[in-house]
Amino acid sequence: MKLALSVNGARHDVDVPPNTTLLAVLRDDLGLTGTRYGCGGGQCGACYVIADSRAVASCLITADQAARMEITTIEGLGQDARLHPVQQAFIDEDAMQCGYCTSGMVISAAALLGRDPNPDETSIRDALAGNLCRCGIYGRAIRAVLRAASPS
Amino acid sequence: MWDRRDPERLEQRIRVERDGSVTALSGKVEFGQGIRTAFAQIVADELDVPIERVNVVLGDTDQVPFDFGTFGSQSVAQETPLLRKAAAFARQQLIGRASVKLGLPAERLDTDAGAVVAIDGGERVPYADLLDSEPLAGVIADRVSVMPETRRKYSGRPMSHVEARDIVTGRATFVADVRLEGMARGAMVRPPARGAKLRSLDDSAAKAMPGVIAVVREGDVVGVVAERDEEARAAAAAVEAEWHAMPVEGQTAEVTMRSDAGVDAKLRGASVRLAQTYVLPPISTAPIGPSAAVADVRGYGATMYVGTHRPFGVREQIAKTLDLPEKTVRVLPQITSGTYGRNSSADAAIEAAILSKGSGRPVLLQWTREEEFAWSPSRPEAVLEISAGLDGEGRIVAWRYDEHTNVHTAAGLDPQVLGVTSGRNAIPPYAEFPARVTLHIEPTRLRTANFRSLAAAENVFAIESFMDELAVLAAEDPVQFRLRHITDSRFRRVVERVAERSGWRERADGRRGRGIACTVYHGTYVAQVAEVEVSLAGAVRLVKVWCVVDPGQTLNPEGVRNQIEGGIQQSASWTLKEELLHRDGRVMNTGWDTYPIATFRDAPEAIEVFVEGDETAPPTGVGEPGAVPTAAAIANAVYAASGARLRSVPLTRERVRKAMAG
Repeated sequence: MKLALSVNGARHDVDVPPNTTLLAVLRDDLGLTGTRYGCGGGQCGACYVIADSRAVASCLITADQAARMEITTIEGLGQDARLHPVQQAFIDEDAMQCGYCTSGMVISAAALLGRDPNPDETSIRDALAGNLCRCGIYGRAIRAVLRAASPS
Repeated sequence: MWDRRDPERLEQRIRVERDGSVTALSGKVEFGQGIRTAFAQIVADELDVPIERVNVVLGDTDQVPFDFGTFGSQSVAQETPLLRKAAAFARQQLIGRASVKLGLPAERLDTDAGAVVAIDGGERVPYADLLDSEPLAGVIADRVSVMPETRRKYSGRPMSHVEARDIVTGRATFVADVRLEGMARGAMVRPPARGAKLRSLDDSAAKAMPGVIAVVREGDVVGVVAERDEEARAAAAAVEAEWHAMPVEGQTAEVTMRSDAGVDAKLRGASVRLAQTYVLPPISTAPIGPSAAVADVRGYGATMYVGTHRPFGVREQIAKTLDLPEKTVRVLPQITSGTYGRNSSADAAIEAAILSKGSGRPVLLQWTREEEFAWSPSRPEAVLEISAGLDGEGRIVAWRYDEHTNVHTAAGLDPQVLGVTSGRNAIPPYAEFPARVTLHIEPTRLRTANFRSLAAAENVFAIESFMDELAVLAAEDPVQFRLRHITDSRFRRVVERVAERSGWRERADGRRGRGIACTVYHGTYVAQVAEVEVSLAGAVRLVKVWCVVDPGQTLNPEGVRNQIEGGIQQSASWTLKEELLHRDGRVMNTGWDTYPIATFRDAPEAIEVFVEGDETAPPTGVGEPGAVPTAAAIANAVYAASGARLRSVPLTRERVRKAMAG
């Protein structure tokens, strides 16, 4: 089916089979591979994108549903000269190891700061509880979000 | 085979490029442990170039020297001296060339930021201008003088991953992000259980489905290639395959790892004796990114984009699978989700190669979450039996240890191999008592293979829990009891330091308690104190962990901290939450809902890691040791907090509550 999606501030026309997930469209049709596949069931957070200012699992919504939303992926959050404060804070706190879960985690944190610029540690843990990390960088990620919330 | 190495040649290690950049080559592979950064630091320092100009190529089998694989936290330890020497040799050659060019003796030349300079000032020749005759090459001299430590700008300084920017912007290309011209997608058809043989196949419906390019069968391997991922999966589900279940034969073996005289007599003569059994369940490596591979198989050879610890091993396997000469196969390791050993098995690569050959297209195969849990190798159950006796002064007089497990079902039965895989860290690091340590290889229906620290985490859980129980029997503080049995000064120091750093005491406030555990893993010394809170219902909350680690000379302390913290966090998840359930060779819990791991809510308030390396000792690995003592530190803390001694993990609420009541 033919769809027009709004991703990272630009319009993209795609023609995909019915029920194709937003995740598949991003990765396979738009070449935006920064959004990762982790479980396909909304249980790990690796594929989170911002949809109308909320962090959502792109594996759980269809491209058809996404066509009614404003989508921001990790690539659209910030690049090089203009990193989002969360991206910069993740670098500064070395809050990553393999980096596979990082995109989704940064998206969740950015969505959190969008609605609460000064979250406490409990709010951060709650907001990121859907983002699984196996390398064990939770402590560093919490510090990174706190840092992004109050730039020194 | 472990030390199959030709003399080191400069052109296989260091290339000074015409644009003034430097390429460093290593057969080791990055998977989050930070070696790309560590290697860049060494080469930048030795060649005296800004680190931004150093590119590190890891594992490309067409470019790098042969390497057996990136295992056992040894990458930095093995590669550091080689790369340092190669870079120093390159610098020496550049100075030699400049000497000829400038007509100045080499003694009057030095280097500075990618150029050879005259010590007296004036002359300055960028490295790139010294390449006109021929590239740097040759056998690296045995004796090369390296940079004095005072001139090292990067080594030993905290640095974030060099690829951090690519990761936070999503630009980093993981295996499943590789996109090739004409690339199709694969999906496998799986049997009901491991070891099943294909009896019959009806692919007529699948072949007629949208986007399907081919249904490929090779032996018992069946898969679909289609234009899109969802098309391949739909068609794979429509393939009608009948399977013949085959029982998987388990292996058994017995390896005597240590057998001192007089163990039984000394045990009988001890003033007190203790015997306990500890049990750990199977667990999954559970990477966040499931296995993936891209294969581009042509008539004349194959190019493989894979996540692997051992690119040359994969090259051999792919060449064998495709019946091609090894030199026609190029393996290009991509960055990959951390897999903690799981990538040692090249399943997805072999399957992708078969699909690409069978369809004539480059194929990306990414396993689903369910496939990853069900079909990847796991860590098996381990049962550890320990007996020991104490004399009248509370000293251990004898030790008997029987380990039952099989952590690597594909590794064969060579006792030497079994000793370093399943038997890893079975011999206690405490000195001066006779011991008998026996490894019993048990049949397992699970497929098992390398998982972070192999059996060390299991053995150290048993040994360090038991040391705590012996301390109780000796009516002695657990830290003091351990110190009395340690002779190695570096081991003693990490235990003393973690006690100091944590302000050691067993009881903490309220329902909290602290536990200690320590080990020596492949030359890295590590001691941890865990603080937990145990609710009346038996729920265990990990509050805080202190860790002192001595990995010898430390190149990148921040990288060490990150690895050790991660090891502790992962091990806390194993200890408090994880158990892989299986029946008749079939894994039962294949999702994050049925196999929960620690989340942000479970992370302790702090993990304080103190890197206190003995700078006179060679560097040792840090990827694995952090994970090794954590289970015992937590279980010992649960005992201190609640009086419940747990000899089985995971420390679930039900299990702890039961132990509290008993």
